[in-house]
Amino acid sequence: MRRTILIVLAALIAVIGLASVVTATTGGSSSVTRARLEKSLPVVFANTYVNQANLVGRNVTAASLHAKAMCDKHGPDVADIGPGGDWNCLMSWTDPQVPMPPEGYGKFELNVHSNDCFTASGPSKLTGFLTITDKHGKPVTNPLFEFDGCFDPHSDNAATGVYFPSLFAITSPNVTPTAQGRTTVKVNCGTGSQGCAGTVTATAGRVNLGTMPYKLKEEATGTLQLPKPVPAGAKEVTFEVKPSTGAGPTSPATIPVQPR
Amino acid sequence: MTAVQTHMDPAVRESTVAVERRRGGLGAALRFEVRKLRAQYRGWAVLAGAVLAPIPIVVIINGQSRPPKDTLFGRFATDNGFALTLLILGFATQWVLPLLTAIVAGDIFASEDQHGTWKTVLTRSTSRAQIFWAKTLTACGFAVLVLTLLAASTIASSLLIVGHQPLTGLSGQTIGAGTALQLVTASWATTLAPTLGFTCLAIVLSVWFRNPAVGIATPVVLGMVMVLIGGLGGIEIIRPLLLTTSFEAWHGLFTQPRFTGPLVEGLLVSAAWSVLSLGAAFAIVRRRDITGG
Repeated sequence: MRRTILIVLAALIAVIGLASVVTATTGGSSSVTRARLEKSLPVVFANTYVNQANLVGRNVTAASLHAKAMCDKHGPDVADIGPGGDWNCLMSWTDPQVPMPPEGYGKFELNVHSNDCFTASGPSKLTGFLTITDKHGKPVTNPLFEFDGCFDPHSDNAATGVYFPSLFAITSPNVTPTAQGRTTVKVNCGTGSQGCAGTVTATAGRVNLGTMPYKLKEEATGTLQLPKPVPAGAKEVTFEVKPSTGAGPTSPATIPVQPR
Repeated sequence: MTAVQTHMDPAVRESTVAVERRRGGLGAALRFEVRKLRAQYRGWAVLAGAVLAPIPIVVIINGQSRPPKDTLFGRFATDNGFALTLLILGFATQWVLPLLTAIVAGDIFASEDQHGTWKTVLTRSTSRAQIFWAKTLTACGFAVLVLTLLAASTIASSLLIVGHQPLTGLSGQTIGAGTALQLVTASWATTLAPTLGFTCLAIVLSVWFRNPAVGIATPVVLGMVMVLIGGLGGIEIIRPLLLTTSFEAWHGLFTQPRFTGPLVEGLLVSAAWSVLSLGAAFAIVRRRDITGG
């Protein structure tokens, strides 16, 4: 009897092992891939967008939105495959009443499960907060605030070719010169393709403080040092960004000087 | 032969058939197993639970001010009856369905060990194979019954208490109430194959360990382990081979377009688990030496 059980167990292990080898050699250990998310998310989004529009009494069709997404898992150095709560998708769509920000997309955060279902939460600036007011004036749950979707694990896995530029931003809330007169600002580069590169020109009033080149990977932070010291008595410093790769703020950023 | 039989008196024919099938037959063994099951308080308690438990669960979830959003369809569960049945379905497949079927299947062989009645049973005029299949069919029949009752009760109470508004599907699309009812019913039906897989798993454990406690608890624990393994990243290659993966195959019915690949895979995987489990169980029962006790 024991021998039979051992044989059955061995057979089970052999079947599992064989199937594993077959799956491994036929490529892709996970059905959760960038291409499948990039195809599935816009469909779920567009349908949910129509639901939201109907709630507030607007008439929008899913096809008119032309939603497109680019997804990325956990920064540039991690392969874009497998479940996890670290998927980011950039999505653009066309709605005359909700213009896209200058970079051309909104950022969705996705929690993707191994069962090929995901929960996406939208950028509140574009998709609204948890509660919205419907056409009858009643507060209702915003379907776009957070929504679920599932995709076919056997669906086409060809790349979609959708790319969006990373967004470069100056994140320091203020500029603080050190005792030696050195001044630095913190910058970051958001999700997107190919990272951020370009120049930042700093001015304090009419004084040009110099131009700093920057080059950052996507989803990375960095520190830029101003070439010249901030003149004494300057209240604020203005930074003008000229991106060569990726997107940047379209208007100059003005940051107050924090006296030491 | 048939011609002769049709002209025979029914009573005579009965006795002739009985004489022909001197070993009592599968039918007799099956009737006996069902009778034993009907006499047990446990089986009735499980069936009553399957019918009654969904009602308070539906009432309680319906009364929540914030919907349970971390489960699929949970975010619509407080204002859509279809979503609520699917939420309960998702929960039932975690461990409830394996437990409900294992309560009978995990006990049906081991109880003979517990009561020391194998000798009595096997010296009756039925073969071991007939007793094996009678017990297996009884356990499977019970699984079908309990799943049907649980599904019917959950769907009925959800629709009556929460309502039958159009459902938002897994592609964000709106599904009309009529279609939604069909899809929800189909979803519950798709869990039959993996539930029967768990029935067979409970049978082999019941036969192997000769202990009802092991037969009932182990399938539930194995089910939870499979859910855990299936949820891990990195080892997803074995995910399709897990019995619990088939429990989630219904997701494909609610997308646009629908996909049925996982349903077919789930059917094959459940069949493989069932055949292997029953094969092992049958081999053990066949070779078992009952003279000792």
